[in-house]
Amino acid sequence: MRSLLLAVLAAYVVAAIHSILAFMNKRRSLQRVSDWALAAGFVLHTAALIADWVLDGHYPLFFPRETLSFLAWTLVATYALVVYRYRARALGSFILPLVCLLTFIALAFRSGTEATTATGLSATWLFPVHTTLLFFAYAAFFVVFVASVMYLLQERELKLKTFGAVFHRLPSLTTVNEIATTSAVTGLTLLTIGIATGMLWSSARDGRLWHNDPKEIFAALTWLLYLVLIIYRSTARWRGRKAAWMGVAGFALVLCTFFGARLMGGYHVFG
Amino acid sequence: MSIVLIGVNHKSAPVEVRELLAFSDEACTEGLRTLVDGDVLREGLIVSTCNRVEVVAATAIGQSKEGADRVTNFLSNSRNLPLTLFDKHLYNHNDSEAVTHLFRVASSLDSMVVGEPQVLGQVRRAYSLALEAGTAGRVLNRLIHHTFHVAKRVRSETGIAANAVSLSYMAVELGKKIFDSLAGQTVMLVGAGEMAELSARHLVNAGASRLLIANRSEEAARHLVQEFGGEIVDFDRMAPHLAQADFVICSTGASEYVVTESLVREAIEHRRNRPVCFIDMSVPRNVDPAIGKMPNIFVFDIDDLESVVSSNIREREREAERAELIVQSEVMQFQQSLRAMDIGPAMGALRQKMQGIARTELGRQRGRLGSLTPEQELAIEALLIATVNKISHPVLTQMRRSFEASDAETLQSLRDVFGIDE
Repeated sequence: MRSLLLAVLAAYVVAAIHSILAFMNKRRSLQRVSDWALAAGFVLHTAALIADWVLDGHYPLFFPRETLSFLAWTLVATYALVVYRYRARALGSFILPLVCLLTFIALAFRSGTEATTATGLSATWLFPVHTTLLFFAYAAFFVVFVASVMYLLQERELKLKTFGAVFHRLPSLTTVNEIATTSAVTGLTLLTIGIATGMLWSSARDGRLWHNDPKEIFAALTWLLYLVLIIYRSTARWRGRKAAWMGVAGFALVLCTFFGARLMGGYHVFG
Repeated sequence: MSIVLIGVNHKSAPVEVRELLAFSDEACTEGLRTLVDGDVLREGLIVSTCNRVEVVAATAIGQSKEGADRVTNFLSNSRNLPLTLFDKHLYNHNDSEAVTHLFRVASSLDSMVVGEPQVLGQVRRAYSLALEAGTAGRVLNRLIHHTFHVAKRVRSETGIAANAVSLSYMAVELGKKIFDSLAGQTVMLVGAGEMAELSARHLVNAGASRLLIANRSEEAARHLVQEFGGEIVDFDRMAPHLAQADFVICSTGASEYVVTESLVREAIEHRRNRPVCFIDMSVPRNVDPAIGKMPNIFVFDIDDLESVVSSNIREREREAERAELIVQSEVMQFQQSLRAMDIGPAMGALRQKMQGIARTELGRQRGRLGSLTPEQELAIEALLIATVNKISHPVLTQMRRSFEASDAETLQSLRDVFGIDE
């Protein structure tokens, strides 16, 4: 499985490098290389995840190695959706390096120490649903973050009237604003269903909906923050700059949620 | 075969010299017929625009020096201009340098405003005049087609022409940056200055759907409405209309702020924070710069536009560096194809001649061989052809070698020995 994941990493690295070069040089031919490499990587990655699932007999989302690999996969899928919808390929130069990093770390983790703790959890169908939804929510929030940063960079340049190299290479303010809004709505929807399935599953296991563990608390805070963001956006009071800052701040909370359990322990023992 | 390019451009010669050397279309075709003598100068082409007069010619092998002299004299004779008057402004490029120069010209790398699109059309025109005069042959046809290919590649692979470099077009560029597309946007003109009018024209061409015109004098406003359509709005009660505008272009002769902070505050109440772009083309300024501090409002005065223009020019220059690399690699490719093309017919002729001899001789002796099976017949032919090919192979190799070394003398003597004159 490692060799397959290595091939995936190689494809992603090629895609990321070409995406960055295309971003800097604005060359369509480079972008095409990136697209094809990414598509190849994604197909291989999907195959690797399925193979993992079948061979290990549990949904591939238990161990750090698996979660990181899966997160990379969701990021690629989300990026593909954004490109399909908005043609905003500049996003790739920001997302793909992270995808490479995640895949690399996933590869670097040695498998073997992982015992059989997994089996008990994967008994229910709720586990894959709960985790998959949340991972796509994370990916969507990352897109919100990147789009917000793009917004802030450009807004700053427009306000200060200092037009650097970035100015000519990023999508327009309206486009990044739209990407951020759509991704935030999508992310929040996924997060809501994800949390709900988690509660359902938890109550089925031990009759408790809420365990007060750090991951749950951060998730709730994240949920609240994006809800506020979307409400403000839809009433159009908070378009632009402030909303973009919120998109950045929100992602800090998402990171806390993602790493919360690992650093502070609690009910959610796994990544 | 070599290519020479001789001429003047806006960098090498002042306009007083360029205008004396310029060719009209008729002078061009006529001049080309006298220029090409079929002896030293085999093919010719004249590019004559307001920024350059250049003669491109293909000369006989090893005659580039003589060819260049003839072109220079031709310029002097046909324009009735003593050589001493323009001699020092002339540049003279040979072979790969000439090709490079022509590629750069057509790709707009040698233009006054790098990336301007007209020059390619001018080269195209020069070529059709040469075709008309019958002075474009094997070499120039290939050269010009390759030139078009390079110009197209430069345009599509680099951003050399991507960003606006004129003030009036900046509004469109900024609009695209803020709103993505101008389709369906509302533009409001405050005042009817010439610059504002030009910008409005660009915006409407780029898809802006609605034009509001506020002007102190009704008459000037009416004039604009006649030209672009649009609605006249009350200059003194601007706020409600301001609320509808995505673009406000301001150029009045007023000496104080016409678009004030309080006016804009009132207007954006109704816009629900949708962004607005103010472009202030007037000096003294008409839009209070403090407005630019409000969220979702972007204000650009004439200095800001200038600075975007110069940033775009820098961007074009960056892109031009990449274009130069494309030109370099294309020059190499062209040189190679030219070489292959030039030696090709001679080598083909030699090969054919040898094989022809073999076949004729076989035909003459065939009767004496009696009846043969088809296999045997084929074997004899193959044997003969293989023999002559083996004999001519070193000759062909030597031809190619001396061609690559531009050794015209050896090449000619080889041709003479085997009696090839293509």
